[in-house]
Amino acid sequence: MPLWYYDKKDLKSTPSIHDGVDAETEQRYRREGCRFILDLGFRLGLRSETMGTGAVFFHRFYMFHSFKQYPRYAMATCCLFLSGKVEETPKKIRDIMKTARLILEGARERYIPTLGDEKGDLILQYERILLPTVKFDFCIASPYSFLKQYAKTIVGDKEQIRQMFQMAWTFVNDSYCTTLCLQWEPEIIAIAVLYLACKLSKFEITDWTTKKENSKQKWWEQFVEGLTKDIIEDICHQHLDLYSKSNLSSPGNGTVGNPSIMLTPTQTNSTVTSPIQPISIESPSTSRSMPSAKRPRNDDESNYRSSRNNNHHHSSFLNSNIGGIPTNLTVPPLPSSTSYHHPIICCSIVKIPPDRNDQ
Amino acid sequence: MAYQTRPVEQARPLEQAPLEFPYIGDVSQYERIDKIGQGTFGEVFKARCKKTDDFVAMKLILMDQEKEGFPITALREIKILQELRHDNIVRLIEVCRSAMDKSSRSKFYFIFEFCDHDLAGVLRNAHVKFSLGHIKSIMQQLLDGLYFIHKNHIIHRDIKSANILITRNGVLKLADFGLAKVITPPKPNHQNRYTCRVVTLWYRPPELLLGERDYGPAIDMWGVGCIFAEMWIRSPIMQGNSEQHQLELISHLCGSIEPSVWPSVTKLPFYTKLKLPQNERRKVQDRMKPYIQEPLALDLIDKLLTLDPKLRIDADNALNSDFFYSEPPLAELKPLLSKYPSMFELKEVSRNAHNQQMQQQQRMKQARPNVPNLPSETIY
Repeated sequence: MPLWYYDKKDLKSTPSIHDGVDAETEQRYRREGCRFILDLGFRLGLRSETMGTGAVFFHRFYMFHSFKQYPRYAMATCCLFLSGKVEETPKKIRDIMKTARLILEGARERYIPTLGDEKGDLILQYERILLPTVKFDFCIASPYSFLKQYAKTIVGDKEQIRQMFQMAWTFVNDSYCTTLCLQWEPEIIAIAVLYLACKLSKFEITDWTTKKENSKQKWWEQFVEGLTKDIIEDICHQHLDLYSKSNLSSPGNGTVGNPSIMLTPTQTNSTVTSPIQPISIESPSTSRSMPSAKRPRNDDESNYRSSRNNNHHHSSFLNSNIGGIPTNLTVPPLPSSTSYHHPIICCSIVKIPPDRNDQ
Repeated sequence: MAYQTRPVEQARPLEQAPLEFPYIGDVSQYERIDKIGQGTFGEVFKARCKKTDDFVAMKLILMDQEKEGFPITALREIKILQELRHDNIVRLIEVCRSAMDKSSRSKFYFIFEFCDHDLAGVLRNAHVKFSLGHIKSIMQQLLDGLYFIHKNHIIHRDIKSANILITRNGVLKLADFGLAKVITPPKPNHQNRYTCRVVTLWYRPPELLLGERDYGPAIDMWGVGCIFAEMWIRSPIMQGNSEQHQLELISHLCGSIEPSVWPSVTKLPFYTKLKLPQNERRKVQDRMKPYIQEPLALDLIDKLLTLDPKLRIDADNALNSDFFYSEPPLAELKPLLSKYPSMFELKEVSRNAHNQQMQQQQRMKQARPNVPNLPSETIY
C-alpha cells in the first residue's frame, strides 16, 4: 500500500505552490474544499465517515495536482461522489450536482461554472483522474471510530465525558479542514482531539478501564505506544490555528472557510445542527469491539492491513527523529493565547450522529 | 521541522511530470498472451509481466455504460481484495490504466495473480481423477478461504465452481469478489436489508430464494455444500431454470421446506407466495450414496445443505469436521494438475449473461406454463 504521510516541509512544496499559489492561499483552498465536502455531505444526509474519506481524497489529490488546474469545488464534489461509493453510502451524481450548485448559489455563484454541466460529466471525468491519483487505495480509516473506541475506556463523570466526547467529535470534523490527515494516522488524530477536548473542558483523564495500578502510563499510551505529549500538542496547535482570526476571515467566501465550531445552531450548513441524538458512550458492554468490520483483529490469520496497522505505526514513532526534538522545547499550555477563539462556547450544542456504521 | 517522522516515499516527481497520471502502473508493462475469459463484463486475458516474467490475469473494468462513474461493484472488489490477504484468496496485484484514447480517457484494468485452472473446468475434464485426499485438500482450502473472509465480516455472495481457481502448484484461490459485501454482525432490533438477488441460481440457498434480506455467511456455506457434492458428481447438482424450479429441486433433495425443520421460514417474504413441494423426505445422504462412498463426506455435505441457515454448519466447524482428520490424509494437488495444460473454461458465462438467460427462461415459462423442465445433466 502506498504511504500517504508527509513531512511539514513537503506540505510546503506542493504542486500548487510550485504553480504559483502561495502557501496561505493553498491552506485556504484546502479548507474551503473540505468545508464544502462536509456541507455537501451533511445536506445529502451522509455519514461523517463518508465526508471524512472524501476530505482525505481531496487532500491527497492536491499533493499531486495544482489547485490552478483543478478547481477546488469541482474536485471536492468529485471526492464526495467517490467516497460515497467507497463507504457504501452512494449518492446519484445528479443529486450531488444539484446540491453542490445550491450551496454555491449566492455569495459563491461565480464558482458554479467550475462544476461543469448539470449532468455531472465533468465530475465523472475528474473521477478518472482522481482514481489513479489516490492509487485506488480505498482503505481509509477515520478518526471517528478510534475516537469512539478510546472514549469508551475513560472512567469518570458520564455527563462530563459525553460533553467532551461531543466536542472532540466536532474537532474531528474540523480537523479535515487542516492537512493533519496528511501528517498523522487517524488513531493519533483521535487522541489529539480528545486531548484537546479534555483541556478545553477542564477534564483530566486520570482513570481508564485498562489502567494498571501504580503505572505512570499516560492514557493514550494504551492505544499508541511511544506517542509523546509534544506531538499531541503540536497537532492541537495546528488544529487551533484553524480557529485563529486570520483563518476565519477568508476574503469573500461566505461561510465556507469557517470551521463548524463558529457557526450558530440556526445555520444549516454545519454538523452542529445535526438533529440526531448523540450516541451513547456510557456503557462499554454494549459497544461492538471497535475496529469494526473494516478493521478486524490482528491475529495470525488476518494479516489485514498489518503493514499499516502495526509495523508502520510503531515504526513511525520508533524510527522517527523524535529523539532529535530539543528537550527544552516548551509548548505553551492550551489554549494559550487570546488569538484562539474559545471553542467551548458552542460545543455544548454539538450533536453527534448515532452509530450508523451498519449499512 | 522538529517532528519529521517519516520517509517520504511519495515525494512528487515535479521536475519530471510530463505524464498526466504518473501514479499507477501502466498496462503496457504487461504483454497479452491469451484470452481466458469472455462475458458481457468484458474480456479476461492471460498476460506476462515484462519486468518479472510472471503470468497475470488482466480484467478490463468496463466504465462506458456506467451513468454513475466508476462502478461501485469494482470499487467493492478492489477495497475488499486490498484488505484481504490470504493464500486462498486471489491476489489483486494492482489496478492499471491504459494510455489515453482520443477523448483523453484511459481504461482501467484489474491485474490478478494468474491461476492455471478453475474448478469448473477441472471438473469437466474427465481425465482428471480426484482421490479422496485431493477432494479433502480442495475442500479444506476452500473452507480456509471462507473462514478468513467470514471472520473479517465479508460474504462472497457468488460461490460456484467457476469462481474457484487453482494454481499450477495446487493452491486454491477464491476469486471474483464483484458481488462480495462487508456485512454487520447480527444485532437485536436491527435488520439488514441486503439484496437477495445474489449468487448464481444453481448455488443459491433456500433463504435467498425465499426473499431473505438479512442474511449472513451461511449463504456461502450452502454453495460449499453444492460444490462438495459436485466434486464427485462432476456437474452442478441442482440445475434449476427458475427460482421456483430451484426451490423444487432443493425440496426434492433436502426435504420439504417447513417450520418443523426451519422455524423462522414462515417470516420470509415468498414463503406463503410460492407453492412449495409438500411431504418430501430429506434424502441428501440416500441420493448421494451411489456417488460418494465416504460416510464422513456424506455427513458433512448433509450439514452444509441444511435448509435453516441458522443450523447450517459454519466454516470453522466444517474445518473441524472428522472428514479432514480421518484416513486417507490430504493429498497434494500439484502432481495431479501439473500434468494438464491450463483448463480455463473459455465460454465462461458472465453473471449478466446468466441473468439474461434466466430471465428469458422465466419469460418462456410464464408464456407456456406447461413447458417441461429443461433436460439437465443432474442426477435428479
